[in-house]
Amino acid sequence: MSVESAVTTARERLASQHKHPVNQLFHDEATLGERVADKAASGIGSWWFLGIQSVFIAIWISLNTFEFLTHKWDVYPFILLNLAFTIQAAFTGPVLLLSGNRQAQKDRLRLEHTAEVAETAEKATLEILEEIERNTVATLQVLEHLRKRRAARGT
Amino acid sequence: MTQPAVHVPASMRAEVKSLIVHRLRRAHRDPDSDHKHPVNQAHYDEATLGERLADQLSGALGSWPFIITQTSLMIVWVYFNVWGIFIAHWDPYPFILLNLVLSFQATYAGPIVLLAGNRQSQKDRITLEHAADESDKGEEHITRILTEIRKNTELTLQILGELEAEPT
Repeated sequence: MSVESAVTTARERLASQHKHPVNQLFHDEATLGERVADKAASGIGSWWFLGIQSVFIAIWISLNTFEFLTHKWDVYPFILLNLAFTIQAAFTGPVLLLSGNRQAQKDRLRLEHTAEVAETAEKATLEILEEIERNTVATLQVLEHLRKRRAARGT
Repeated sequence: MTQPAVHVPASMRAEVKSLIVHRLRRAHRDPDSDHKHPVNQAHYDEATLGERLADQLSGALGSWPFIITQTSLMIVWVYFNVWGIFIAHWDPYPFILLNLVLSFQATYAGPIVLLAGNRQSQKDRITLEHAADESDKGEEHITRILTEIRKNTELTLQILGELEAEPT
């Protein structure tokens, strides 16, 4: 492998990884179940899903209402279609909660990260304050020294 | 006087960052661990009985074991009512009782989703309140730093005055 392609590969790998620790832990280190849960939630909650479902319902009702060359398997009032709807709803609820639980977990993790960062940031701020105070003391000493020197010269 | 070594603030040191990630990873995989952030403490560690129950309920309903169990039961139900031998077909095609059972589940799932959602929005409210408190604290720190730098500048200007007054 040439040096150039090695650099490109490394860049691509970096680009696919998250920078924020919470995203790294939550997305890059997700277990198989968590990955599937994310895929399921984003699959059901998409315009593709809504569109395909609507087309499917329209075809089902048309085939069972109007005279086509097909056998009518679920005539009015569409009891089997009702069952299909219920099955969809029975799975959508748990998947919704699955995704919600995962979001709540991420929120929890984000706050923990905020607490950690806030703690170190506060330490850094106090360090800055301490350093400036030290500077003030040093400047004061310089001033005192100059005043003493002027007094000794008697000007 | 020797030049001081480059001093990296605590928050930017690499070992501090990796320690944070290590602690976060532990907190992520162990939901019962003690929380560090006050909002998480209030939300999880100090939850009331009803709130704990709501969390457990939404945690159980929104889990892979629940989804897999429900799927298996559905398959078994349909199988026994279509091809079951030595057993009464209690809900033949088009499975009206199964429909009722699943509707029943969906009727409860809706409110439980909202229960979990309400709890999350409550948490969001507390988070913002806490952020406002923290922001006040940050402002106080910045004010102190600014005051100190102003004091420093005044002293430096006085030194300049002293130096200018000196005979050249």
